Amino acid sequence: MEKFTYSFPATKKITNRAHVGVVGSGDLEVLVEPTDDNQAVFEIRTGITGFQDTWKKVIERFVSLNDVSARITINDFGATPGIVSLRLAQAVEVSGNGKGYDE
Amino acid sequence: MVKVMTNSLVESLARERAFQLLDQGSAYEILGPFDRFGSPHLEKQNIVPQFDDGMIIVKGKLNGNDAVVISIEGKFQGGGIGEVSGAKFAGTLEKILKECKKGNRIYPIIIYDTGGVRLQEANYGLLSIAEISAAIVELREYVPVVGIIPGKIGSFGGMSLTAGLCSALIMTREGRLGMNGPEVIQQEAGIRELDSRNNPLIWKMIGGAARKEAGLIDILVEDDVQNFKEAILSVWNGEIEFKNRTKQIDHYLSLYKSCTLEERILPEVARELLATDTEIQDTELPVPTEVVESTGRKWFNLLTNGKPSISEVPSVLVADTTINGIKARVIAVVPNPENIYYRARKGEVGLLEGWTIAKYVQQAIDEDCDAAEKRLIIPIVDVPSQAFGYHEELLGLYLACSAAIDAYATARLAGHPIVTAIVGNAISGAFLSHGMQGNRLIALYDDGVNVHVMSKKSAAIITMRSIEELDEAAKEVPAMAYDIQSFQKLGALYQLLDGVNGKNPNDDDKKVLMDAIIDAYHDIQKHNDRDLSCRLTSEIAKNGGRAASIKVREMIEAQWK
Repeated sequence: MEKFTYSFPATKKITNRAHVGVVGSGDLEVLVEPTDDNQAVFEIRTGITGFQDTWKKVIERFVSLNDVSARITINDFGATPGIVSLRLAQAVEVSGNGKGYDE
Repeated sequence: MVKVMTNSLVESLARERAFQLLDQGSAYEILGPFDRFGSPHLEKQNIVPQFDDGMIIVKGKLNGNDAVVISIEGKFQGGGIGEVSGAKFAGTLEKILKECKKGNRIYPIIIYDTGGVRLQEANYGLLSIAEISAAIVELREYVPVVGIIPGKIGSFGGMSLTAGLCSALIMTREGRLGMNGPEVIQQEAGIRELDSRNNPLIWKMIGGAARKEAGLIDILVEDDVQNFKEAILSVWNGEIEFKNRTKQIDHYLSLYKSCTLEERILPEVARELLATDTEIQDTELPVPTEVVESTGRKWFNLLTNGKPSISEVPSVLVADTTINGIKARVIAVVPNPENIYYRARKGEVGLLEGWTIAKYVQQAIDEDCDAAEKRLIIPIVDVPSQAFGYHEELLGLYLACSAAIDAYATARLAGHPIVTAIVGNAISGAFLSHGMQGNRLIALYDDGVNVHVMSKKSAAIITMRSIEELDEAAKEVPAMAYDIQSFQKLGALYQLLDGVNGKNPNDDDKKVLMDAIIDAYHDIQKHNDRDLSCRLTSEIAKNGGRAASIKVREMIEAQWK
């Protein structure tokens, strides 16, 4: 298992928290929680070791497309970069529209 | 033909399932992912946890009725029950029970999608399942407990024993219900016993449709959320007659006694046998020509002063005795090399054993129903496992184990003190069925005494690790270890007796165990407790042994609205 943290400057606030996905084969869970410190902070735990460069690229790409001040937590169970990007996009969409199940 | 769009429950994740069943806008989650209460034991084993630990608790309304859905996420660790997920399940049922006792009717709905105990947290799963079972048995008296097995995993292992205790079970064709999963049977008994890849056969044995035809479940539905809702409501509205299957002891016991396995029983024949509701003539089982010594038998003979067993099944010994003037019933499961069920010849708990335990515990309850002093019950535990076999799954071993659990839990609730004496192996479903429902657990500090959920070889295959890796992990997580000292660290043992010869006990050894049993008996009387809560309130449990189990229950209480 590997853990890493990234943070990026951000400007836009989001209203709702969101949770998507499951820590199952080839998938991951993503938590998005609004923050007001103008930062996007990523905390990642992954069961697959040795892919930190790939993670960095996926996260950088996400940040270039989404400007959100949020704490984003990821528990990964071997998702491909494509799945990670989709789950992140889904989480942001859910948080924006406030359709999270727990809300 | 117009094709009607369905809203699939099977294809949804556990959280979606729970919210889909409840009235829109009525529901909220307890201990959801944002509480970040994942398993504290997985990270130590290099496994990524999930923030809800794969157990989703959602409270809301269904058709205006207060309800709580307990939904297991099968995609996370195969729906396995660990300490946190188990405590969420048990703690929620305990909370509903408390509310029901106050007169607030809250309906529990359980959505099963689980392989049973999470092998990476082994004995925590075992303890949790005992607590879940205890809660269901008590709660059923206040409100129907509905279990749903939608698939795709189904309900296996210890969780199938809790399913057997539910007031009513709803399944789809895709769901499966059985004690031992096909892969484990193949591993333990060989491919000739069961080919785990023969899916058509497996669904014919333990699939939803087969279980419905055999009369082991109540409602079979097509996968659509609305169908599940209607099925649940039909149970609540009394449209379904509760079968109380675990109480049909004479019926099932005489059925299993009447079977012969000289030829393999085919699934279609088994379904017919199980569905019979006419009275089955009692068959006398042959007396074994040879008596095999076992640790359990030695201790049974010692504690009963060699009294003959009154049991009609040779592999279960039962006798009444007095210990220091206290009336007691002693029960042990022992090997019988001539058992008609050939997978249960080494002292395993199989079909006959589960139902026989149920019979003699229930008998003690009935005989003492008017007595002020209820008889002490002493399960002597020396059980290598439950029986792994084709016929066992086909004929519903899970229900035999549920019946034994039901009987012990019912006896405990009726005021029978139960003091479990662990003198040998206490493994998995066998221990859940025989011993785990005791008010107090006493074990011998002996290398022949082990507590676990699965043989190392099978556990290694299922979790895709080597035996060396398992041993390494057990050093970090005591719940994964097999030895009794590690089990003691979880705080569930009332006493661990040192200096007793477990395998060849003499009169001095007998005295030590008897004194401990009497001490436990008085402790039960003093506290007048009839539940299993002492396992969570012991010093060891509070000081870390069950830290997460305790914290989860506190958080359920705090978040309950």
